[in-house]
Amino acid sequence: MLEIKNLHVKLTKEERVIINGLNLTVNAGEVHAIMGPNGSGKSTLSYVLSGREGYEVTAGSVTYKDEDLLAKSATDRAAKGVFLAFQYPIEIPGVATMQFLKVALNSQRKARGEKEMSTPDFMRYVKERAAKLNIGPDMLKRSINVGFSGGEKKRAEILQMAVLEPSLCILDETDSGLDIDALRVVADGVNTLRSPDRAMIVITHYQRLLDYIVPDFVHVLSKGQIVKSGDKSLAFELEAKGYAEYAGAAA
Amino acid sequence: MNVLVPKTLAETVFGLALPHRKMEDWRWTDLRQLIDKPYPPHQKVTASAQDIDRLVKSSPFAKMAGARMVFVNGHLSPRHSQLARENVATRLGSDEPVLQMNRAFATDGAHLKISGTTDMPIELLFLATRAEARTVATHNVIEVEQGASATIIETHIGEGSYLANSVTEIRLGEAARLDRVKVELEDEDAFHLAHANVTLGSSSALNDFTLTSGAGVNRQNSTVEFHGQNIDAKVSGAFMLGGKQHADTRLVIDHQQPHCSSRELFKCVMDNHARGIFQGKVMVRKHAQKTDGKQSSHALLLSETAEFDAKPELEIFADDVVCGHGATSGDLNHDHLFYLMSRGIPEADAKSLLIAAFVGEAFDVVVNENIREALAAFSNAWLTRRRRAR
Repeated sequence: MLEIKNLHVKLTKEERVIINGLNLTVNAGEVHAIMGPNGSGKSTLSYVLSGREGYEVTAGSVTYKDEDLLAKSATDRAAKGVFLAFQYPIEIPGVATMQFLKVALNSQRKARGEKEMSTPDFMRYVKERAAKLNIGPDMLKRSINVGFSGGEKKRAEILQMAVLEPSLCILDETDSGLDIDALRVVADGVNTLRSPDRAMIVITHYQRLLDYIVPDFVHVLSKGQIVKSGDKSLAFELEAKGYAEYAGAAA
Repeated sequence: MNVLVPKTLAETVFGLALPHRKMEDWRWTDLRQLIDKPYPPHQKVTASAQDIDRLVKSSPFAKMAGARMVFVNGHLSPRHSQLARENVATRLGSDEPVLQMNRAFATDGAHLKISGTTDMPIELLFLATRAEARTVATHNVIEVEQGASATIIETHIGEGSYLANSVTEIRLGEAARLDRVKVELEDEDAFHLAHANVTLGSSSALNDFTLTSGAGVNRQNSTVEFHGQNIDAKVSGAFMLGGKQHADTRLVIDHQQPHCSSRELFKCVMDNHARGIFQGKVMVRKHAQKTDGKQSSHALLLSETAEFDAKPELEIFADDVVCGHGATSGDLNHDHLFYLMSRGIPEADAKSLLIAAFVGEAFDVVVNENIREALAAFSNAWLTRRRRAR
């Protein structure tokens, strides 16, 4: 599904290189965890894959469903099934969550040549998914993420994912700021979406999240490269030993 | 007006001195420069029924239930109106230039006395039909009596090149309440020069909203005077400007009595070469203790060549008050834009959503839901036109 080859990325406005020769292959149905210390390039990877401005790819390629992902706009990537659950979901005053979800879903359907969903069908479709994430009608009426608690924001991200049904889900530090109960709700939401034709990249600093979302592969990112890959036992090893061993790996 | 500047042709014709840039309140809107030809007043214009009907229908509130007074080229059209002129006298005396011009040229206007409570909005619709360039001046006097309440919409629509001069004088009695909405949609070849004076009695409430989206040159001067205690006044506005439009709003909130509160929120969207100006002054007189006053203006610039100037002023003579002001100006938030696009919303749609959300915040002051919906529909139509022009 996704093939990242020798990816090099720097900030557009600075010379600093953040991703420095990254290779990663993700197949449909797989869950990959990417772990690493702060500043290793985890969030940058999520932004580069989802098409945020401000980054320059200086070398390498990203192929997604046999197409050049990097050539596409953020909008087109989303319509093709790429979804980023933000570490810090953005608050947008004045745009109601329900309206936003409807515009987003129907934009994607239109881009894929599918029929737009009618308002009554859409309401039913969202309410079903929202209920599973303990999201009531009140939250859906409010402006996107405005006045939401940390846990509500993360649940709202997962709701968007459940509504948009992407093929490639990138979860950026979804566990940050969550207490154990909220983490369980979010993880259940994510696990419900696991399927043979959907892949996930779970970016996290701590092993804790991986108790709930069990990965098929774990990769250690350091200084913009994947320096070690393994199965879920690698996550436990990291939790026990810390990242010190990898701090100088890419130097 | 004691600055010696040679008279322009327009002034010779008007027989009045026009405000110019050396006057502090008019520094951004030099009418001596901008009024490039005489706009003779008191011109008799014949308008066709089709033109009038088309303009009546183009009001954003055309489909809304309510009573109407329609003024065509400065004169009440009884055929289109359900309300008649009442006997309320003007009390305005001021040397404000637009008011002076109005005193000399006004031909008609809505004179209304509101007693009791009317749920139905009253729309005052001012139309200018296509004709020779001229001045069309109207003067409204609206009195909301003690304990009475009303919703009044003032809509200005026109075609062609003309100068609209509009004065609205409003008096709220004790515990009276007025929801006022003004929508300015004049032709882009037209001038809209307005002056509003609102006096508020004890325990009265004012919700005032102005949408400015028409005219090549718009200048609106408003003064809200607090004549009693425990008054709550909210004054909001929105600019939706494009092309080479110029809009200059000057608002003076004059707290003369204690225990009153005022809130002002202006959301200004400027595209292309448009220029918006907000001069907001909050005055708290010595006697007006415990005043709670807040003013803010926010501008969204959609092009490199659009411009916004803000001149917030606080003049406080009382020592026990809470007052503040803030002004911001910028382009669309890139994080917001990326967030919407990352969910599959095309860039142009995402921008329209964000612009509508930005400007829509100012609509919140409008209590009547149907009016708010009509404003939202206007804003969406404006955004669609903007996209088609690209």
